[in-house]
Amino acid sequence: MRATTADREQSAIYTYLICLAAWAIPGAGHLLLGRVQKGVTFLITLTLMFAFGLWLQGRLFPIELSQPLVALAALADLGIGIPFFIARAMGTGAGRVVALTYEYGNACLIDAGLMNMLVVLDAFDIAQGRK
Amino acid sequence: MTSHAGLMVIFAFFVSVVFGTLMRDEPKEQLRFGARLFGAFVVGGIALGWLLYPLPL
Repeated sequence: MRATTADREQSAIYTYLICLAAWAIPGAGHLLLGRVQKGVTFLITLTLMFAFGLWLQGRLFPIELSQPLVALAALADLGIGIPFFIARAMGTGAGRVVALTYEYGNACLIDAGLMNMLVVLDAFDIAQGRK
Repeated sequence: MTSHAGLMVIFAFFVSVVFGTLMRDEPKEQLRFGARLFGAFVVGGIALGWLLYPLPL
């Protein structure tokens, strides 16, 4: 009985580690679970989409609780994981409001983060044996 | 490339690739679903653009 509980705990820890990896590096969860084709596709597409959003002069929103919509956009931006922090460290993502492509850049940055969250949920389902 | 239509097509492409890969398991099905999604995004975007055209914004 104790062994079963320990197994279950280990399995839960493994699942959460997969989710953490999937969030940090787009597609890493699927790669760790052996879904190489999906993992590589997510890694390339989501990273490219995020980089494209930066190139279009989109903004990486700050977490400002006084402005709920800005805070939600920041949460969505954070969904992409490590690329967000790399972009921040490189000083990109300031956003240029007057640029023609500003809103498209924001759409790419926010959607890349949100879609990576969906990818994390998919990796969670696979790790749980539901898919 | 930085025209509204061009950017919309590129955005539709990225989203279609991710959803096509996410929602289907077989590569052939992923390609078919992604292509249909991409077509729907582009046609829907252009149709919405024309519908909004008469509105005074």
